Amino acid sequence: MNRTDELIKEIQEVKKSYPKTKAALLPVLYLAQREFGWLRPEALEFVSEALDIPKATVKGVATFYAMYKHKLMGRHLIQLCTNVSCMIFGAERLVDFLKNKYGLEVGGTTADGRFSLVIMECIGACGTAPAMLVNDDFYENLTEKYIEEILEKYK
Amino acid sequence: MITVTINGKGIKLEKPATVLEAARIAGIKIPTLCYHEGLELYGGCRLCMVEVEKMPKLQTACTLYVTDGMVVRTESEQITKARRGVLEFLLINHPLDCPYCDKAGECELQDLVMKYGPTTGRFEEGKRKHPESFDDPIIVRNMERCVVCTRCVRMCDGVQGASAIAVTNRGSHSFIEPFSSGEYNCEYCGNCLAVCPVGAIMSRLHRHAYRAWQVEQEVNTVCSYCGVGCSMVLQVREDTIKRVIPKIGLGVNKGLLCARGRFGYEYVGSHERLSSPLVKKNGKLEPATWDEALTTVANRLKEIKERFGGEAIAGVASPRCTNEDNYVFQKLFRAGLGSNNIDSSARLGYAGAQKYLEGILGQGATANIISGIVNSEGVFIIGGDPTHINPILGIQVRAAFRKGVRVITVGYTPGLERFRTAGLLPYPYTEGMLLSGLLEELLKIKSLPGGNKAFEAKINEFKRLSAGDIEKVCNITKEELSQAAKALSDISSVSMVIGRDIIQCTGASTNLFLLAAIAYILDARVYLLSERPNEQGLIDMGCLPDTLPGGRPLEIGSFRKRDEDVWDCQIPSKEGMTLMEIIESANTGSIKAIYVMGENPVYNLPDTNFVKNALERLGFLVVHDIFMTETAAMADVVLPSLSWAEKDGTYTNLERRIQRLRKAINRQGMEDWRILSEVGKKIGLKMPYNSAEDVMTEISMVSPLHAGLTYEDIERGLDQWPYKGEPLRQGLGVGDRGPVKIQMPGHKGRLYLSIEKPLFHSGTLSRRAQALNSIYPEPVVKINPETAKKFGLKDGDIVAVTSSKGNLILPVRTDKLIGESIVLVTNTFKGKGAMSLLSYKLDPITKIPCIDAVEVTIEKVVNI
Amino acid sequence: MERVLLKNIENPNSADIDEYMKVGGYRSLPKALDMQPRDIIDEVKKSGLKGRGGAGFPAGMKWTFASADPKFPKYLLCNADEGEPGTFKDRPILEKNPHLLIEGMAISGYALQAEYGYIYLRGEYPDAKHALKKAIKQAYEKGFLGDNILGKGVKFHLAVHQGAGAYICGEETALIESLEGGRGQPRIKPPFPVNVGVFSAPTIVNNVETLANLPYLIEIGADAYSKIGSPDCPGPKLYCVSGHVEKPGVYELPMGTTLRDIIYTHCGGIRGGKKLKAVIPGGISTPVLPPDKIDCPMDFVNMPKHGSMLGSGAVMVFDETVCLVKVCYRALKFFEHESCGKCTPCREGTGWLRSILDRIERGEGREGDIDMLLDVAGNMFGKTFCPLGDGAASVVQNFIKHFRPEFEEHIK
Ligand SMILES: Cc1cc2nc3c(=O)[nH]c(=O)nc-3n(C[C@H](O)[C@H](O)[C@H](O)COP(=O)(O)O)c2cc1C
Ligand code: SF4
Ligand code: FES
Repeated sequence: MNRTDELIKEIQEVKKSYPKTKAALLPVLYLAQREFGWLRPEALEFVSEALDIPKATVKGVATFYAMYKHKLMGRHLIQLCTNVSCMIFGAERLVDFLKNKYGLEVGGTTADGRFSLVIMECIGACGTAPAMLVNDDFYENLTEKYIEEILEKYK
Repeated sequence: MITVTINGKGIKLEKPATVLEAARIAGIKIPTLCYHEGLELYGGCRLCMVEVEKMPKLQTACTLYVTDGMVVRTESEQITKARRGVLEFLLINHPLDCPYCDKAGECELQDLVMKYGPTTGRFEEGKRKHPESFDDPIIVRNMERCVVCTRCVRMCDGVQGASAIAVTNRGSHSFIEPFSSGEYNCEYCGNCLAVCPVGAIMSRLHRHAYRAWQVEQEVNTVCSYCGVGCSMVLQVREDTIKRVIPKIGLGVNKGLLCARGRFGYEYVGSHERLSSPLVKKNGKLEPATWDEALTTVANRLKEIKERFGGEAIAGVASPRCTNEDNYVFQKLFRAGLGSNNIDSSARLGYAGAQKYLEGILGQGATANIISGIVNSEGVFIIGGDPTHINPILGIQVRAAFRKGVRVITVGYTPGLERFRTAGLLPYPYTEGMLLSGLLEELLKIKSLPGGNKAFEAKINEFKRLSAGDIEKVCNITKEELSQAAKALSDISSVSMVIGRDIIQCTGASTNLFLLAAIAYILDARVYLLSERPNEQGLIDMGCLPDTLPGGRPLEIGSFRKRDEDVWDCQIPSKEGMTLMEIIESANTGSIKAIYVMGENPVYNLPDTNFVKNALERLGFLVVHDIFMTETAAMADVVLPSLSWAEKDGTYTNLERRIQRLRKAINRQGMEDWRILSEVGKKIGLKMPYNSAEDVMTEISMVSPLHAGLTYEDIERGLDQWPYKGEPLRQGLGVGDRGPVKIQMPGHKGRLYLSIEKPLFHSGTLSRRAQALNSIYPEPVVKINPETAKKFGLKDGDIVAVTSSKGNLILPVRTDKLIGESIVLVTNTFKGKGAMSLLSYKLDPITKIPCIDAVEVTIEKVVNI
Repeated sequence: MERVLLKNIENPNSADIDEYMKVGGYRSLPKALDMQPRDIIDEVKKSGLKGRGGAGFPAGMKWTFASADPKFPKYLLCNADEGEPGTFKDRPILEKNPHLLIEGMAISGYALQAEYGYIYLRGEYPDAKHALKKAIKQAYEKGFLGDNILGKGVKFHLAVHQGAGAYICGEETALIESLEGGRGQPRIKPPFPVNVGVFSAPTIVNNVETLANLPYLIEIGADAYSKIGSPDCPGPKLYCVSGHVEKPGVYELPMGTTLRDIIYTHCGGIRGGKKLKAVIPGGISTPVLPPDKIDCPMDFVNMPKHGSMLGSGAVMVFDETVCLVKVCYRALKFFEHESCGKCTPCREGTGWLRSILDRIERGEGREGDIDMLLDVAGNMFGKTFCPLGDGAASVVQNFIKHFRPEFEEHIK
């Protein structure tokens, strides 16, 4: 079975969770993002066909949500919270740190394609602020030094 | 009964209504922006806020349903401040480029700001920028002006069903975008721009050429493209159509239009229009005076009649001409030239089918109200894609599906891809057999109703195919077939939508017999798709070889007598020839003269070379047209006529609704009926008309269908059959049909030609409309991607499509909805019409030229 | 007080079904299945349990509406979108005590005769997703979910639906829209979800914490339950405290504990002995309070009397070093980012407010800016489609109301 077949099987599986196909759109967008790297037009077209939802509609939905990738991003995605609780514990300094140390602009990607940085609204770690997610991993009580250590793990 | 008080005024309501609707009933205006009749409620703009007693916050009138005893105020200081606030918000990111914006003068935002708005803005930060997009041939998108009311999206999605645009992103970065962000690649109905309240979605056709206040005249008329007959308004300045718009709530289309209707009017102003009569001198068409041309026509026709009899003359009427034109046309023939050889391109499907089905099911059986489709419980579609052929009818099918109505399609119906319960794609040219199998399955479930015994006897004796046969021959599984039968039989109200492809193929009358039987068993409403605006009218006017005005059979003396009395003449009792018989007789020499009004047989009939040769043999050929068509170029006399926008008259749509065309533009020249009258007078006929209305007066005396009908009645909306005349639906025929022959299906692996009916073109007229050409600019051959793969072809490759009749060189376009053995070509572009590759056989009963399974080959052209 | 919602979470394996059952888990479900659905609803009604998602709507009343609707199927949705800045109270339940939620949902599903449930989980909680998926699988294996729960002929299926980063999807109609695969924008009410919700069916949306209360409520009964905490809105409550306290975190306390108690008794007071400057008591959308107001009991009834709201119980504490103009600016930046764009005042107003606050914060404010902020906020408040816009406006209004001099100083 090739990759597309496997993906289609996964999609069939997802569809089973809902009485209406359209409801599978958000999860299937995640699958397409995993498979295509980001939600490039071909990915959206693929989803449109797989779920029989018009392409424009798929695009409208996909772009509504902040966590889908709409451009090519680095291998690892740093999602740093800068909302109030994190801000008062210096989240903005951490943004500067990432910029100075790694050349990472907000919304940008390092030249070597290793990291991308996005700013998050509250990620539910206010009691242990500042916090971030790297891909799917939570990191809390961040300091500059701690960030350096963490990022070492992501090649 | 609900009572609500608005601004102190008590309003009683029978039905639930929103505060906005209630206020409108009471004549109280509440400003709105995102609200639009016919669209799903939204409640986003927040302009319609009102005060409601016992509710602490302001409420949006457009979304709040009134309850009994509710007390509402629509104006107060608080409300005014709130509205001003909303308008200020709307303007902070708005470019305020009204002097430059085409919407100025009819912009809802502009009007609202004038009335409620802040006089100065306080927003000093930079406005959001988003460059205007010119990526599309038709639509200009300016998202800086967008107010995100989403009227366009709700229209495109919820009403049109095209879902070509969506709101992307969120918050203040919300934009309306097609998938590509640039080109729309949609159905180009333009209904989105019609509902845009501001200048965010505009058409390129009117760019900087249109100003609302410079419109000199607004003329209500009906569309000239197809048999739906949409109401539209022509906005005119300096004798030019500046824009075509629908009117909300008006006509069958209720504020909607399709691409052809909205953007296809440019042919009227084409520089290719004929302006002077032309008479052939020394083998060349030369300009002549009207008198010279008309005298030539009258004299030559008279001469031929005297020498060879009226039977040597034939006329081709036009489903693009008005009832008045067609009426006078047949009168000239019957009363003046003594000939019943009158037919038209409606013979290619509509006329033959209509007569056949009405013979069994009763007159008027094929004239059902289009909006009724939504209210049926099931829709069965065969022979064409309604969303392309009759787009506004197609939208009804989509709406029905969305309401939960079952929709079953047979054949290539791309526009219903997302709007059907089941889509059967039988092997090419086996649709008739599929119908036979369907009938068999239906009879297993339902018994014959018993109304028309003679017909039922014929149904019983018909040798039907079993589901097993169908599976073998049509490539439709037993389950698919029985499910379709089941879906149609366990409901009480079915609409059957029938297109030309099932009527125009071999075994036409057998197919019609089967369709009639199915309609009879299901007690279905029948809709015949109609590709021209006045096919029904032309039939009602008697432009048929065997039928007098009002659908009365020619063979019955009393009917002839009635017309003879009015016309003061003798009508020959012998049935005339049908369209292809006329051509064939021209070929054999028994027809000497043909009079063509507004038709292009050389292009629109199958087997172009044969038709051409036949016409070349004629002693005399007259053509009325607005363009120098392929046929006009062969004529002895060419008479320039007026287009649909330049004359008065009536069209009758496929629901038999008779509607007024109104003159919007002054142009030198004569209407077809006037030209015909002049010719008639010259051969001694009484043609007592000064206006189209005079013609209608005579029609109302001659045609029982139109008895007593006046333009005034039409104005008042008394416009649908049976008019004021005799009741319809009598006479139950038995359904004669040709010999039943199990057609050989096409062979797998071979390719067969089929005619594409594109949404954006109709042929001779549409190819002179710039806008439509910009959407669909050149002929292509469409095939399934698998077929392409098999032949080593890809999109854009140039191929030769060859049949026994000739070949066409065309670029390839793939479309996965097309069957793998089908090759689709349109009959639209000059020199590249699909008809030229086709041969035909006449159906013995309906005389429809049936197109056999025309096998073609496709081959990549290497050096051209 | 014995901990109910956070029971056993120190146990590193607390999310495992066996560990959950060891401490008494899944005992209320069989008990509930032996009751009539009606009786469970009555019990919930009697208990006085109010929804923990923010609005404090009585759970029993919502359930009654939904169960009175004759349409079937019905759906039970768990709102695990937890997006309100400052809020992280549902996260420990989701990550460490998922079976409590599942048990609660199975009970509610039975009571409401809903056969399908979804947990709408915010996309930013990947750990919770894994924990829930694993827990649901275990619950199916043990027969606590499925077509025939515990052999009693009761059907309830549960799945996780992951959001994708949109705060507005916490609003129940937007959540439904999003679950159906749409853009998460709120819908017109009425019809209310209890009548026309997801897939056009009667739908109950409850917060994680609300549903997690169910097993305990059934265990001890409505009478005992209603004696916990405030008489008007009883029960245990999760308060999540962030900012400048010595011990931030999630605290399970009786409803109605005062802000002062929360900050000074449970969280060890202000970090480094600094002075308290301001508290946002219930998540960023709730009105900020100055230090002299912290004696109010934190519940749905008393907070409004003191000029704020309980909201999600997300207490954000600011000491004297914090620039409140900056906090206000950052809050508006959040609202601008999260505005769904449906209605005009919110779509345009949040950005406008943010841009004015931005210039004030940068020291480029002008005379009249404060009044303009109030006027623009006034043009938003009460005029937006959903409460998100109101929240944005009220943040500005309340920061200025209590801390105007600080704004003025920035401008001078
Ligand atoms: C903008 C907005 C965001 C919301 N976010 C959440 C949320 O993240 N979690 C939640 O449980 N409720 C949230 N709510 C409240 C829900 O709309 C709803 O009231 C709640 O889920 C009902 O559950 P409950 O009755 O158990 O509190 C939000 C409401 C609004 C207006
Ligand atoms: S937003 Fe209202 S408020 Fe406006 S007209 Fe539209 S919906 Fe009414
Ligand atoms: S503010 Fe950063 S996690 Fe909450």
